Amino acid sequence: MSEVQAAPRRRINFGFDRFSGVYVWLALIIVFSLWIPSLFFQVDNAKTVLAFQAVSAIVALGLIIPVAAGAFDLTIAATMTVSGCFTSWALLQHRGVIFAVGGAMLIAVCIGLLNALVVVKLKVDSFIGTLGMSSVLAAVAFMITGGGQQVLSEDGYAPFLDFARQQWFGIQASVYYAAVIALIIWWALEYTPGGRYLYAVGGNPVAARLAGVKVGKVVTLSFVASAVVAAFAGIVLLSTTATGTTDMGTPYLLPAFSAVFLGATQIRPGRVNVVGTLVAILLLATGVNGLQLAGAPSYVTQLFNGAALIIAMALAARTARRRK
Amino acid sequence: MTTALSVRDATKIFGGQTALDHVSIDVQPGEVRALVGQNGCGKSTLIKILAGFHEPEPGTSVTVGGEELVFSNATASEAVGLRFVHQDLGLVANLDAVDNMAIGQGYITGVTKTISWKKERNAARDALKELGYDINVRMPVGGLQMSERTAVAIARAMSTRGSDTKMLILDEPTANLPGAEAQRLYKLVRGVADRGIAVLFVSHHFDEVFEMADSVTVLRDAKHIITRPVEGLTEEELIELVVGRKLDEHVTDAEAREHGEPILEIKGVSGASVQDLNLTIHAGEVVGFAGITGSGREEVASLIFGGHNRAGQVFLQGQELPECRPDVSIDRGIALVPAERHANASLMDQTLRENITIVNPGHHMNLGFLRRSSERSDVNEWLDKLDVRPRNSEYTMAQLSGGNQQKVVIARWMRQEPKVLILDEPTQGVDVGAKADIHRLVDEAAAQGTAVMVASTDHEELVRVCDRVIIMRRGKAVDVLKGAKLTNDNITAASIGRDTGEPAA
Repeated sequence: MSEVQAAPRRRINFGFDRFSGVYVWLALIIVFSLWIPSLFFQVDNAKTVLAFQAVSAIVALGLIIPVAAGAFDLTIAATMTVSGCFTSWALLQHRGVIFAVGGAMLIAVCIGLLNALVVVKLKVDSFIGTLGMSSVLAAVAFMITGGGQQVLSEDGYAPFLDFARQQWFGIQASVYYAAVIALIIWWALEYTPGGRYLYAVGGNPVAARLAGVKVGKVVTLSFVASAVVAAFAGIVLLSTTATGTTDMGTPYLLPAFSAVFLGATQIRPGRVNVVGTLVAILLLATGVNGLQLAGAPSYVTQLFNGAALIIAMALAARTARRRK
Repeated sequence: MTTALSVRDATKIFGGQTALDHVSIDVQPGEVRALVGQNGCGKSTLIKILAGFHEPEPGTSVTVGGEELVFSNATASEAVGLRFVHQDLGLVANLDAVDNMAIGQGYITGVTKTISWKKERNAARDALKELGYDINVRMPVGGLQMSERTAVAIARAMSTRGSDTKMLILDEPTANLPGAEAQRLYKLVRGVADRGIAVLFVSHHFDEVFEMADSVTVLRDAKHIITRPVEGLTEEELIELVVGRKLDEHVTDAEAREHGEPILEIKGVSGASVQDLNLTIHAGEVVGFAGITGSGREEVASLIFGGHNRAGQVFLQGQELPECRPDVSIDRGIALVPAERHANASLMDQTLRENITIVNPGHHMNLGFLRRSSERSDVNEWLDKLDVRPRNSEYTMAQLSGGNQQKVVIARWMRQEPKVLILDEPTQGVDVGAKADIHRLVDEAAAQGTAVMVASTDHEELVRVCDRVIIMRRGKAVDVLKGAKLTNDNITAASIGRDTGEPAA
């Protein structure tokens, strides 16, 4: 009688399983608004949070792609760094914006292909393979910059710095970039065959292959995509901070993974997805921002992101168990 | 001389079903006994009782070398001197023979609890030498030949410290061995018996029964049928004892059904176990593959589809298909419903819609977007046609019963309207109703001109759906059954070693 017990599981439960993140986010907003209204519940603060999270959001969105295909890409932070360092170096050498940005993108494509070579052809586990590649890329960033800081002066490089900093309707340009990237990736994952292939490979690579999906090609393209998006994040970051350093991307690694895996418990539980990731980013950012405004020390950011990653993975494991 | 193994009135009932019915056997020291019978005859149940996996019904008694076996667990069986080698051998492939033999019984350690590798190595080497194998004990066993691996497993079983080995019990010892290596194993087993140890082995291969055993015990329908010396027994008599009736050989071939054009030509295809397969399949024809485990039957479907590396050529309507390119095979019109759907076919956490359209999602693209509504109606139509329950494209695969999951996988491929449909164990773990539905679908596909290939361990299924059945033995297509000769018993008999039809073309 298995047909009978397989009755629909969607009951009216206010979507607590699929939208729990949204509820927690609203709860955080209410708590902080009551606690520290003058600091937290302000339009300017909301804008600051958004602007501050734009780069995190872009990296995390790019990371969704390989994770959907079942591959970890730990090089995203190092790719950001290499891209930021190359762009700042090229600009300081007066090679022009097109060369600087175009070069960074080209490097990103190469990084993606190299990751794919290691994971797909050499069959190294993606976690280990991209961990190793990260270290290689850190060395590349050093080679480019010689280890020093590459500071772009405010007046000399105004057009490049405006790229992320200019405001439209009072909101920083980087937020719009994140939104556009989110839309593109959402479309690609939900509304194209490529998205289906990604999830199929992530779900069961053997079955996907026997159903005619070119697994190697899908994984390769997913690495290239995440590297290109990460490189773009590096350029936006450089444009925001005006400084290229050899560890500029590092702080973005863990939050990206936290957001993607926390996001996988939302909207479409059990699979990484764009909307869930955005919810997770806002949730994490709001929590961190509120705590900091309430006077918590700066290390709370790391504490929050690390704890969130672990909780997200535990929740995901629980969802998986329930589905069995 | 004390009897090595004495089983009295062994009975086991599983949920009202008698799996073993008052079976009594005796095996003497130094005797090699084969235990044969069809699937479900009670062989495995008996072995599992001896191994301590199953507790038999009261009234059952087993003595080993005069000592009463207390039915509790594996340790008790080991303590009275029983040793087991299971079909999969239970070796760790990336460890060497020394480690594999020490695992589970502890390493030899010195006063400081340091492992004495030298003693350990010598012990392993000696144990293997006694079996007539001189192999590198430091090499990971995954790199050894199959018969050498079996030898390591046997050496491990026999060198168990703590009690004397009275009896060695082997489950399908040569199932995965090519001919020459099987010969080597026969010698090994004889050697063991010559040391006064009793050997009991379960077998589906009649050649090993005749080459290796002194005597044979036949079980049928949970009952003991006969125990007799192998000497003076013919293969035909043995098959009759196993199947339970005389096989009627005086049947004439029915007229072969009318078939269309040749569609698929297989020329000299070989794989890991399949050797030199030649075959032509016509439009509208249903060709079956039967054979015991290790015969090549389990490989043939994926091999022809192009799922893994193969030698030889496969032509679809005269055009050669590349190996290892499922995507190309699918584009040209071949579909594979693989065995073990959980591992090879299902996207468990994804919807039925996504599972069915994964082969060709682009079909529903419109203005740059996959249209869910068009996809849904397409999929629901197929769920209707195959009577999948629940009939809702948005359920996940994991929410369905096994039979319905299998129907979804079949729907995935029927939707492609393939020229060749390859089914590997299509009704594995599927309930009776779904099974009948799947058989009906095969009929319909063939009626529409699809060439169908079915590899199956379910002989009734092959008789039900196939026009002809190819029998595989030790990697080779050795026999073809069709027409009136295509019967359950004939498939069984041919699979285990007797030619009943004509040689395979």
